[in-house]
Amino acid sequence: MITAERKSMEELINCVSPYRRLLLVGCNECVTVCSAGGRKEVALLSSALQLHFMKEGKPFEIKEITLERQCDPEYVEELVAHIDSADAVLSMACGCGVQEIARRFKEKPVMPAVNTKFMGASERQGVWAERCAGCGDCVLGLTGGVCPIARCSKQLMNGPCGGSTKGKCEVDPEIDCAWQLIWDRLKALGMTEKYEENMPAKDWRTGRGAGPRKIVREDLA
Amino acid sequence: MENFQPVIVAFCCHYCAYTAADMAGSKRLHYPANVKIIRVPCTGKVSALHMMEALRKGADGVYVAGCLEGDCHFRSGNTRAARRVAYVKKLLDEIGIGGERVEMFCMSAGMGEVFARTASEFTEKIRSLGPNPARVADPACTGTAC
Amino acid sequence: MQKRSELSNKVLIVGGGMGGIRAALDLAEAGRDVVLVDKAYAIGGLMTSLDRTFPTNNCDLCTLSPRLSESGRELHIDLMTMTEIEGVEGSLGQFKANLTTRPRYIDLQKCTACGECYRQFPGCVRFTPGLDHRAPTCMRYPQATPYAFSIDMEACANVEELVRVCPAGAINPNDKPSSRKVEAGAIILSPGADITDLSLLDTYGYGVFPNVVTSLEYERILSASGPTGGQLVRPSDGKKPRKVAWIQCAGSRSLKKGFSPYCSSACCMYALKEAMVTRERFLENIETTIFYMDMRTYGKDYELYLQRAKNQYGVRFVRSRPHSIDPVFSDGSMMGDLNISYMLYGGSHPQTEQFDMVVLSTGFRISNEVKELAAKLGVELNEHGFAKTASFDPVATSKPGIYACGLFETPKDIPETLVQAGAAACCASGDLSPLRVVHEKMENFPPERDISGEDKRIGIFVCDCENNIGGVIDVKAMAADLKNLPEVVVSEAIGHGCSRDSLEHIQELIQKEKLNRVVIGACSPRTHEAVFQDTLKKAGLNKYLLEIVNLRDQDTWVHNDTPAFAATKAKELMHMGVGAVRLTHPLVDHTLPMNKDVLVVGGGVTGMKAAVSLADAGFKVFLVERSNQLGGNARNVRKTLEGQDVQAYVKTLVERAENHENIQVLKQAVVVDHTGLAGMFKTGVQVGPRMVYRQITHGITILATGALVNRPKEMLLGSHEAVLTQLDLDALIEDSPEKAKALESVVMVQCVGSRVEQNPNCSRICCQSAVKNALRLKELNPEASIIVLYRDMRMPGMQEEYYTKARKLGVIFAPYEIEDKPQVAADGKKVALTYTDPVLGRKVSVSCDGLVLSTGFIADEESTEDLGVIFHLPRTSDGYFLEDHVKLRPVDLPTPGFFVAGAAHSPKSIRDSIAQAQAVASRAQTFLAGDAINMGAAVARVDSNRCAACLICVRSCPFGIPFINSEGHSEIDPAKCHGCGTCASECPAEAIQLMRYEDDLIFAKLDGLFERTA
Repeated sequence: MITAERKSMEELINCVSPYRRLLLVGCNECVTVCSAGGRKEVALLSSALQLHFMKEGKPFEIKEITLERQCDPEYVEELVAHIDSADAVLSMACGCGVQEIARRFKEKPVMPAVNTKFMGASERQGVWAERCAGCGDCVLGLTGGVCPIARCSKQLMNGPCGGSTKGKCEVDPEIDCAWQLIWDRLKALGMTEKYEENMPAKDWRTGRGAGPRKIVREDLA
Repeated sequence: MENFQPVIVAFCCHYCAYTAADMAGSKRLHYPANVKIIRVPCTGKVSALHMMEALRKGADGVYVAGCLEGDCHFRSGNTRAARRVAYVKKLLDEIGIGGERVEMFCMSAGMGEVFARTASEFTEKIRSLGPNPARVADPACTGTAC
Repeated sequence: MQKRSELSNKVLIVGGGMGGIRAALDLAEAGRDVVLVDKAYAIGGLMTSLDRTFPTNNCDLCTLSPRLSESGRELHIDLMTMTEIEGVEGSLGQFKANLTTRPRYIDLQKCTACGECYRQFPGCVRFTPGLDHRAPTCMRYPQATPYAFSIDMEACANVEELVRVCPAGAINPNDKPSSRKVEAGAIILSPGADITDLSLLDTYGYGVFPNVVTSLEYERILSASGPTGGQLVRPSDGKKPRKVAWIQCAGSRSLKKGFSPYCSSACCMYALKEAMVTRERFLENIETTIFYMDMRTYGKDYELYLQRAKNQYGVRFVRSRPHSIDPVFSDGSMMGDLNISYMLYGGSHPQTEQFDMVVLSTGFRISNEVKELAAKLGVELNEHGFAKTASFDPVATSKPGIYACGLFETPKDIPETLVQAGAAACCASGDLSPLRVVHEKMENFPPERDISGEDKRIGIFVCDCENNIGGVIDVKAMAADLKNLPEVVVSEAIGHGCSRDSLEHIQELIQKEKLNRVVIGACSPRTHEAVFQDTLKKAGLNKYLLEIVNLRDQDTWVHNDTPAFAATKAKELMHMGVGAVRLTHPLVDHTLPMNKDVLVVGGGVTGMKAAVSLADAGFKVFLVERSNQLGGNARNVRKTLEGQDVQAYVKTLVERAENHENIQVLKQAVVVDHTGLAGMFKTGVQVGPRMVYRQITHGITILATGALVNRPKEMLLGSHEAVLTQLDLDALIEDSPEKAKALESVVMVQCVGSRVEQNPNCSRICCQSAVKNALRLKELNPEASIIVLYRDMRMPGMQEEYYTKARKLGVIFAPYEIEDKPQVAADGKKVALTYTDPVLGRKVSVSCDGLVLSTGFIADEESTEDLGVIFHLPRTSDGYFLEDHVKLRPVDLPTPGFFVAGAAHSPKSIRDSIAQAQAVASRAQTFLAGDAINMGAAVARVDSNRCAACLICVRSCPFGIPFINSEGHSEIDPAKCHGCGTCASECPAEAIQLMRYEDDLIFAKLDGLFERTA
């Protein structure tokens, strides 16, 4: 899931203050699941912004709407009925959603209300952790199901480095050393020979190295 | 400002705080009439939005009152509520309304005195803070009780 | 023998304390009629004066009071306060009791408990004397049932004026004593006990030194509703005490004339509670000291409670029984401080220590009144006045059809009282005629009107509650004003709202004006919601189209000093109610069809007893036992402490269970899977050597899986033939008495493998096993030398007398400390044992030909873990099943439809296990009485279109009810939902709403408050 976090109220207030009528758009997918931009967060942000501008004595209107998925044009189309009565759009979706609205409604300023952080998993209620960097060439099969790109601070392909102490990373003692995790897992699986194989340097062309990527499925497209 | 009568919304759980309020009644313990109670089955039902909306709609202060720690009839509703109150405090600080306008209190059903004292003290605190700044400046505000 | 159909369907319960209330509720919920008689003017008994109760240290009023009003409301319960039994004729199945009721001088139908009579005539309105000054309510406690006062007419000089003062016209000076004859099939006696005769406590200066108080008085001082408003101050000078001492066994465990030779059982725990609450609530630097002989914390998890008091709260313990308390003088006058003089083990000089306040832990005794009652009923008592009951029939008195529970049976705490109450209810209902399915008292309501499509028509009714509301605000003017709100069709002041006339008037108007939403401005919905809901139902309206506005308790009562503000607030509250009622919609209480079959897991004494009790009541029972024979641990026990033959009892019970037409016994059977919910469970078991799978459908599940006999590899157990457990010795004495007789020197060591880190709790049975076996050895060979090394001798109730007897016969009891355990070494055929003698204060070695270890129980972790996972049931940290409420629901598990009894709950004796088995059978019958289970309407509902299947509800539900269903959205079973609303407020998609407390309804209240009601 794509995880995100609401921007600070100061930043949000600054970016919406030039406008009087705001369309606040949530998304019922990833950002709902990570409690950043679903219906509840939309309502809460709306309440907070209104309260703030009431205090400032500034006339301010918010229309709230939460789409099923902001990264699909068909759902974004639902905004047509509301877009004209707004001066600007504040999106609580991830960057994909914000861009989709901006693409569809070229004449309206569209602003993000959240910072899109990473692709992650829920560790428990209220805690999400980075798990995947979208590098385009998955090595999890070789590394015991623990990603060295997303979870090693240095993105080492042949770790650990000398900064690994008692299973923790030198960057932050709260971070588990990914290579320690890889080693533990391989050992438990009886696959330590995988560890002995040196992996070649990462070819970043499958990642962002060759520019923005696109997937085309000929049979579906 | 001397005569300022704040409006305070108290979300009280059925099993403890609401019962304590009734208890305060049966003992005729006086507290300011500024406090208006909304009954909920458990403070676990009170979301951040409920508190924010109470302020937006015109309250000068909001508090959530639940069972004593460990006494929640639904196990952990009161601790969840306390975390949400802390979250709302931060949010209110960020938007310039001030987090001290919301608070969490715990009491058992038998604590009528605590209910009355809490209501009085919170009312006094809000009175000294003055009216909800959003309420004062809201151009849509016409009457005195809006 | 009489046909059961000719027997009465009614049970007479004498005594409305916790035990009587529980028995009454159990019977009433099971469809039986109950006459509940109490001589006091409100029910509740002793518990209502306690501040907090152990081991939760909760305020108990909040947990007790719903039970009391439950009791008052229940259709099947005929509550008769201020009533006593004159005499009883007849026998089991057809008793006839003569009851006399003293005049209350107050009409219960009219009294609103406003307190006006008390304010004007405090002298003639009854409330509990002593430290209790809870003005202005003069009921025994603020939430009394019945919710009314009682007048002491003799104390009243101006009767006419008193009558005039009552705004409800409820005082009737011509009230007369009345008599009534009640027929009953069975009688339950739960008259409770008095506390120790305080006049005998003169050596402790009680009644002379004001700062020597009883524990009950101390409770009142701690209580928020007590005379000091919960401030800890000492009576003499109102100063905060810095050093408080408790003296245990004040009046108990004493051979002094007038005192009780038995143990009062509950005092150790309540003293711990009081000391902990004192430390916790008041001052960090307050010193608390408990003087004790043995800390008898033998109940479930009570040992942990003791450890908490010691380690976490720093309560100090002194093993000594002080002989006297003297006042401290300064300049010839008493300062209020007190000197306690006491001797320590091994000490040659008395010690003296000064305290600010001393609490006497007083025990229980049976009053003469209760003894007379027993005589009238022909119930035999033991020499101390407690009811005689049998070892294996713990609540049956000497007279068939009459049962005893609670303190009247033997001193005990609240959970044990409730267990016995359940057992008594179970036995009593077995004596009644078979249950009629349709009960004549069932009320008939007209069919519900379909309001869909109707325009909103709101009716507002404002009660003046006589002066309570009407005396502070102008009710009529407010009602007239509210009439102007949109959609309001009727708005009236209705005088006394909950009177029959007013309720009928509301009902008429609902029908005449086609009202479809009702707002009542009155007292608290906590107490009166059900009354007004009934009115709606009678008018053919769904009972949830109602909003009750608490004008009395939360407005006029608390703001009568500022009537103008009270009036404004009343109007605001009414606006909130009107705003909310618009958004109410008809709801149905969730019901389930009941499967009435019972699954009992575990075929020991507990499981068999529960199975037989329910099978006798006509329910079909599946009794699942994992071994190849019934009987459990009891098969290894020969004699009880009282000398009863256990094997004969077990044999009879096994035969009854195996041959009962309603019981199907499945041996070598293991539970493997489980689905469904209460009333419709499905459980898979693998049966027999070939593990054949079969599925059982049933309505409830009883867990009676027992515990394991502990055999720790300690102190040469298993490696030296002279080392035995108490169970081994029990068998040796019975099977080879000549060998047992030959034992010249025996040492018994208590708490081997119990009260230690690996198994922290007390095993409860070992002290009595040791005393039992010591007595039997002494009987075989009076010359035998027997030493019992113990940590605390835990011989509660009448068991204390066996302990006394053993000491008289020369058995030596010597305490040891856990840090200094006895050391054991083989010495040829003998065992050499070294321990620290407490009197000499140095190591002593003995060589014994029998070392007997009291090893007790250990939880059957493996099976409770498996079953816990299969049935989704919580366990304690040491592996016993965890009940719903340790105090008030000791045999109900938190998941509806699950019950626990016997050693699977915590270690206990056969007798206590039988009582729990019967209690469980009683609780089960309440559950199985209806054809459907009402689960209420306040449940969470998921909008599947909005649900993002994020799992947040699944993770945040305190009861683990929501799940993501096969369609990919959250599903919450309304029958399992407890209705707290946590999921609704956590849901990030706003897909969940809690019925009756929907978000829009809460926002509508806010809009109403800020006068934005549309």
